[in-house]
Formats: sequence, structure tokens, C-alpha cells
Amino acid sequence: MSLSRRFLLRGMTHSSLAVMSLPFLDCFLNENGTALAATGKPIPTRFGTYFWGCGLTKALFMPASVGANYQDTPQLASLKPFKGKMNLLTGFRAFVDEKPNIQHWSGNAAIATGNAPANDREFAGETLDMTIAGAIAKGSRYKSIEVACSGNRNESFSSLGGRNTNPPEVSPIGLYNRLFGAGFQDPSNADWKPDPHVMLQQSVLSVVTEDRQKLMASVGAADKARLEQYFTSVRELEQGLAAELSRPEMIADVKIPASPEEMIVNKAVPNLLKVTPIMARLLAIGLATNQTRVFNMSFCEPASTMYQPGDSYPFHQATHEEPVDEALGYQPITSKFSEYCMQGLASVLAELDGIREGDGTLLDHSLLLAYTDTSNAKLHAIDGIPMVLAGGANGKIKTGLHVAGGGTTVSRVGLTVQQAMGFLLDSWGTQSNQTNRPISEIVI
Amino acid sequence: MRKKFVISGLLAGAVLAAMGGLVLAQDTSGQERLAGMRRLSEGEYRNTIRDIFGASITVQGRFEPERRIAGLLASSTTLLSITPSGLDGYLRIGDSIAAQVVDEKNRPRTVPCTPRAAKAADSACAAEALSQFGLALFRRPLTAEELKIRVALADKIAADTGNFHNGLRYALSSLLASPDFLFRKERAVPVDGGKSWTLEPYSRATRLSYLLWHSTPDVALLAAAASGELATEAGVAKQVDRLMASPRLEKGMEAFYSDYLELDRGGDISKDATIYPKYNDAVAQGARNETMRVMLELTLRQKGDFRDLMTTRKTYINRALAPIYGVPFNFDGEWMPHEFSEKDGRSGLLTHISTLSLFSHPGRSSPTNRGVAVVDILMCQPIPQPPGDIDFSLINDASNPKLKTVRQRLSAHATEKTCASCHNRSDPIGLSLEHFDSIGAWRDLDNGEKIDATATLGGQSFDGAVGLGKVLRDNPRFPQCFARKMFAYGTGGNTIAVTPNTYNSFLNTFINDGYRVPGLIRAVATSPQFFQVPAPVSVQASNQKT
Repeated sequence: MSLSRRFLLRGMTHSSLAVMSLPFLDCFLNENGTALAATGKPIPTRFGTYFWGCGLTKALFMPASVGANYQDTPQLASLKPFKGKMNLLTGFRAFVDEKPNIQHWSGNAAIATGNAPANDREFAGETLDMTIAGAIAKGSRYKSIEVACSGNRNESFSSLGGRNTNPPEVSPIGLYNRLFGAGFQDPSNADWKPDPHVMLQQSVLSVVTEDRQKLMASVGAADKARLEQYFTSVRELEQGLAAELSRPEMIADVKIPASPEEMIVNKAVPNLLKVTPIMARLLAIGLATNQTRVFNMSFCEPASTMYQPGDSYPFHQATHEEPVDEALGYQPITSKFSEYCMQGLASVLAELDGIREGDGTLLDHSLLLAYTDTSNAKLHAIDGIPMVLAGGANGKIKTGLHVAGGGTTVSRVGLTVQQAMGFLLDSWGTQSNQTNRPISEIVI
Repeated sequence: MRKKFVISGLLAGAVLAAMGGLVLAQDTSGQERLAGMRRLSEGEYRNTIRDIFGASITVQGRFEPERRIAGLLASSTTLLSITPSGLDGYLRIGDSIAAQVVDEKNRPRTVPCTPRAAKAADSACAAEALSQFGLALFRRPLTAEELKIRVALADKIAADTGNFHNGLRYALSSLLASPDFLFRKERAVPVDGGKSWTLEPYSRATRLSYLLWHSTPDVALLAAAASGELATEAGVAKQVDRLMASPRLEKGMEAFYSDYLELDRGGDISKDATIYPKYNDAVAQGARNETMRVMLELTLRQKGDFRDLMTTRKTYINRALAPIYGVPFNFDGEWMPHEFSEKDGRSGLLTHISTLSLFSHPGRSSPTNRGVAVVDILMCQPIPQPPGDIDFSLINDASNPKLKTVRQRLSAHATEKTCASCHNRSDPIGLSLEHFDSIGAWRDLDNGEKIDATATLGGQSFDGAVGLGKVLRDNPRFPQCFARKMFAYGTGGNTIAVTPNTYNSFLNTFINDGYRVPGLIRAVATSPQFFQVPAPVSVQASNQKT
């Protein structure tokens, strides 16, 4: 009876355990060398996405000027406190080339992958967050955490490609348990020690991968890809378990909160606006304690059916059926929904900005891409999809600007994001979405 | 005491004995190929664990969701894989199951042997237990290599931690995290000299069991696979009859009906509480339950004519549903049998609270959504998305005095050529259901105007839900679509790709048998096409080379 070398090298007892912190990757360091107050180690850059459905109302959000000190507009009013810590990106276009404009899908899928999708609810490649997580997740417990504020189990826009998406947490309690429930030990505990159960789970995964080669033989291409994805998941879980063997980095001075109370999570606007900041706070503390370095939050889905109690028009329905008010020049009910989406974003930024670490805040050390599926949802338009890029990415991104894309591809945003996250990448996207032009205005 | 240990336990030992050892003769022919993989759904996973280890084992955690493709979640199980975050969930669930299976309380019932010493490794007992767990979980015996490495793991952990059952726990965890458990691997062998391919017996057992029982094969079915009985038509027929005679057939059909009618979505529906204060979780659950009761009663217990689901006025109402139906609830039990009168305007599934509320907006009904659902779900005629770049508000301007009601606004579609081709198929159906609001309660007025529920569809004019029910009942596409969906559900295929070549034989049986569902189930499950698979890709490639 023989076990593989890999299996035996692991060791499985308390005594053989070596506690070792994993170093941060050099490419993700703040150039100024900002150090953690507590440990003297550099602060890592975190990445997040915030998705909302059905775009914005051009008449109400688009500032007249570009660059710094752009005008305040009504639909972005809630973001005003963070104006200096974010960039507003407008006028970028998702190209679909010979593919159809799949309504409420092509735009956001192209932003996320640099590639227009061929089919509804399918990604033509890995989403941006997964690419980034693949490089920076090492040393944290979870590769990424997904959250759907409306409670919809299918609402996730994070994918390794194809139809699979990473399932989201759909309630504050669920998110709390994932981050701080079973398996989590408060890093500030004086007697912190690794849980032997983690090592045993490593050996479980080791056994699972033993059969890999045999499984891969005589498999058709499609199923082979599915098995590859499974084994990729195994590898990533192994990395997460490895990280659990060392005391989590307390990057900021945060306290682990008590579990949130049970609450209604659905598509009613008041509930969404109540749940979102709670989810955001938990995520922020999760980032600050290095449970994860990447998160994806969805406020509402493409073609969102969020509704305001008492009003029979849900959001998506309103975008199509509500007439433009001639006097105002826009759809009043629809535009109100878009405003709620921006309030949700503002609450996320507030939570990230509320955690101090090193010489700044968690927001300063993060990069958050907020994006949507359309520009004018009524027409399913995918040119000029509004985006917000918030946070300074540890000094890699200049903020406070309104940048107009002038009809250039949305992939420029993804390329810029990856470069800011430390990737040596000079081109991103396919076909007409391929670009080698980062948004130079905001790159430091 | 191992009585409740349904699959493993002593009987699984018998299966293994019948096969002459622990090792599967997996490649005796040398021609077996992996033809497909289906990810276990949450329901399948839960039932599988319950049937293998007993109902006292709790399964708690986060499962990866399926996606509906051409009307069925089941069709996505052949396409989806497992994400990092999903595997994290499965690992936790599996570990919690393994811990419960070996704990002192359950051990006498779930672990088939007692180690020589509880604080040390015992390879023989670990091998016995793991080969039985493996057979049940992988739906085939483990290979020698698969067993060996798990016994080694169990022994090492047992020795290191001084606890035999601790070792067994993690070895069992490795079975539960394996792709051979989380995916139903379907393996095929060539027939007629490679002209076509069919599933080998264990894969047949699995397909049959998950279709008919929504769970893993039981001991007798695995034995029929081991003996080769399932390789023959007679053997398949015998097992299908046995599975169909069990009360568990209802569990199997309940899962299919839920997927077919999209009842799984009921839990995600939000209704605006300020407009519909009567609607709550109890109503949502009750509505699903009502529909399932009617489906099971009419199709399986009464063995009635399937088409009557469109017209029957008989149903079951509980305390939560009664106020919405406007029916007094005076009944001792939980579910009161009720027959609507002709005047009530109700007609079968079409006017259940479940279906009416599912295909509506949170605060208003939706004739288009309802119409699309009927055509798509019941007739297998999916309606494409509306074209891009259409300004819908031109035809939805409620301030236009000529467009006051939903009907008037939707009628405007008919004048737009690009809209009309699709809306003419969906809207008449939805408009005939306008007497029912977003939660399925009756109403006479919409926006202060009297409701006109007349409609014309394919040259047939009718009035209201009762008229619609009759038209749909007599449409041959209704039973045909149902038969195709049952086949696609069972095989993990796409309904639209189930062509007459495939469905004609069992559809004819269904028709000739008076549209009785048990006859259809049997015809599907015993048909050769149920086990037929395309030549595996690796074989196609090598054929092309030669």
C-alpha cells in the first residue's frame, strides 16, 4: 500500500504542523511602502465588483464636463462624499461584432470578460474578478466571496467561464457564517492555533485528486472542461485551507461583530437598502481580516425586478413601459430606481472607507468596479454603459475624475483594472473589444 | 442493528459477494467510455444521503444552483461544473455528513463492522466499510485503487489521532467530495459493432432510479446491474415495474413535475405586501403544495387523463389559500378537497394560485408573461426575446386615453409588425386570464374598467380561463410536449432536441393508453432510446482518423 509523495509530505498530526505566513506578492505592494501598523507588513490591494441592473438615466447622471471637478448630478448625489475617491467612467462601448445584442446580458458580460457572449447567461471566458483572484487570493481563506443583496440564489456574475457562476451568499446571516462562523478563529485571540481539522481536510482533497489522470482519459472535450473546472476548484480550495493554517493577517484594527439578526431579504427597495450596508460591512471586515481579497456584490440583477412597495411597476418593467415625461425629459419612476442603485453603491463605499488601515482606509487600498448591463435600458443600449471605479488601489489609480470613453471599448476598463492590480498585461479582450489602451487619465 | 441502512449494510455486502469481490470489472470489454456527467441536484443529493445513511443525518449547507435550459433545470446538470465556492460548500456538507455517520449514536446502524480496537487502525474493517459506502455513493463498486488509497487515509488518520472512526470519517469525506459522487457519471458501451452506443448496466440503474425515485439506486437495482440483468430488455422492464410499484414513484414524479411547471421558482417570488397583504410565505408554499397534490392525484393515484389537468375544477385548499380563492375553510384536516363550481371561472392548473402568481409582476398581473409561460412550458414553443432597440413606451403610454387597460395597450402590439409575430401567440392566452390578479384572486375590474377576457387563438375564439382550458386540453402539442420533457428530464438532454424519431414510440403509447401518465413513464423508461447515447467524442475522433 503506497501513498503518493504529495500525500505524505502534507503530514497530518499536530506535531508536524509548521506555522508559516505567506508573503504578499511584490507586485501587489503599495509603491510608497505603506506598512501595517500592527505587523509592519505592506498592505495588500483588494478587488471588488458591484453590479446593478438597467443602467442610469443620462439626463440625471451625466456631468457636462470631463476631468476633475466635474458637476454634481442628481442621480449621483449619494456618491458625492466619495467623489474624490472614485472615477466616473462614461461613453465606453461594448461591441458585439457578429453576435447578437443579448438583452440585459451582452453589455455586462463584455465588461466582465472583454468578450461579447454568444449565448444568454453565458460568459465567453473567465470574469475579471476570477482572473484577479487567481493571482492575489493566495494566503487568504477564500478565493472570492459573492453576495446577492436581493436574496436571489442565481444572481452572481462571477464565473470561470460558461454557464457556471460562483453561488452567492443571499442573506447577512449566511454571509456572516461563511466569513466568521464555523472554521473561523478570531485572529486577535491570544491562544490562536490552527485547527487540526483543516489538515485532515487537506488530506481528503489530496485523495480526491489522486484519480485525476485516470478520470481525464477517455473523456469528451466538453466533459473534460467540466472536470478541469472541478479540479481547479479543488486546487483553489487547497490554497484556502493552506491559508487557514496560519493566523489571519489583522490588516486593520477591526472587531469581529456579533451575528446579524434574521431579516427579510427580497427585491423590495427598503429591504435592499437595509440589507446592502450590512452585507457591505461584513465584507469589509472580511477583507480587513484577510478572509478574502476579492468580492462580488450584486445589488439587483440585469432586467431587475426590484420594486417599491405600493407601486405596481417593477424596475425593468418601468424602463420599458413608463413613458418619458415630456416636461422632465426622462422617466421619473425608472430614474428613481437607478438612484436607489447608486445609494446601494454609496453604502458599500462608506463601509470600505470606514475602516482605517495603515495611513488610509480600506477603500484607499482597494479597487472597486461598479458596472451595469445597459446604458439606456429602455432601448437595451450597450454604448455608453456607465461605470464607477472607486478606490485608489494602493496608490495605483488617480481618482476624482470623470473620464469619457468616446465610444472606445469597455475592455479598456478591464485592462486598466488588471494593470492597477499589478498584472503585466498589455492587451485584453477579443475582436472589437480587444484593446491595448488603458485609461491613461487615471493610471498613476 | 443495521435494518435502516438501506443500500450499504449487509445487503450491499451481498451485492459485492455476487460480483465475486470488491473490484469492479469496469473495463472488461475494454470499450467502455464516459458518455456524460450529470451534476447531482440539491434534491437528488439530499435524497441520496437520506436513502444511504438514514433520515437522521442532517444535510445542511450551500448547494450550487441549476439553470433552467429549454424549460428544465435537469437539462443544465449535463452542462454545469463545480465552482471553487460551490466545492467549498460540498466539502463542508460532506464533512458534516461523514462526522454524523461515524458518530457514536449512528455508528451501530451505519458502519457495517466493529474495529478490533477503537483507538487504532483496522484495515480490514475500514475496507469493508469503505467498499460499501463507495458502492452506494459512486453507484458502482470502487476500483481497487480507489479503495486502497482511502483505506490508507483511514489507517493513517486512525493511527495518528488514535481513533478508528476518525479515520473512517475523513475517508468517507473523500468519497463525498469526489467527482464520482457529485457527478452521475454515465458510461457507455458500443452495440451493433459500434453503430450505436448504450449505457452500461450501472449507468442504466442510475438513470432509472433518479427518474423514477429522484434518488440513488437501491440494493436490488445495483444487484440487477451487477448481474447484467439491466443489460437486457426484459431485465430493464422487470426493474422498471418494481420501481414503479413503489410509493417512492410519487417522489420521483414530484421532482419532475416541479421542474416541468417551474414550481421551484415559487420561493423566489416577491409580492408587494402593500397591494397584496394576503400573500406571504405560507401562501407561496401552500400554492406549490396544492398544485403538486392535484398533479399526483390526477396522474398517478386516479390514473386519469393527463389532459384534464387543463380543465379539472377539483383541487385541495388549505387555510392559507382559502381567503385568496374566496372559499370558506371549514375542514378538520390540513387540506380540504374542493371542487369549484362552473361559475367560479377556474380551469385546472391554469388558475391555480401557484401558476397565476408565478407569471405576474410583484404588483400587477402580466398577460404577456402568462401567455409566454403557457406556450413555452406547456407547448414546448419557446418565444424569442423581443428585438433590441424598440421603444416600448410608445405602446405602453397609459396617459393615452385610447390605451387605458392592459388589453388596449397590448393590442397596440398587433399593429407593430415586429411585435405582432410573437405577441399574437402569447397575449391572447394571457388576456383570457385577466380575471385573476397577481396572486390569483378573482377580479371583475382592471383600472376601473370591466375586464374583457375573450380571445382568439389559431382561429379558435374563447372566453376566459375556462375557454382557454378547453382549447389547450385538446391541443395535441400539450401531451406531446409533456412526453418530450419527461424524456429530456430523465436523460439530461434539451427538450427542443427531443425529435419525433425519439419520442414517437412512447408518445403513441401515451395516446393509445388514454393519456395515462404511468403508461408514459413505463414507455419512456423501457425504451431503448432512454439509454442510447451518441458515440463518445474520443471514439468519433478515432473513427474519423481511420
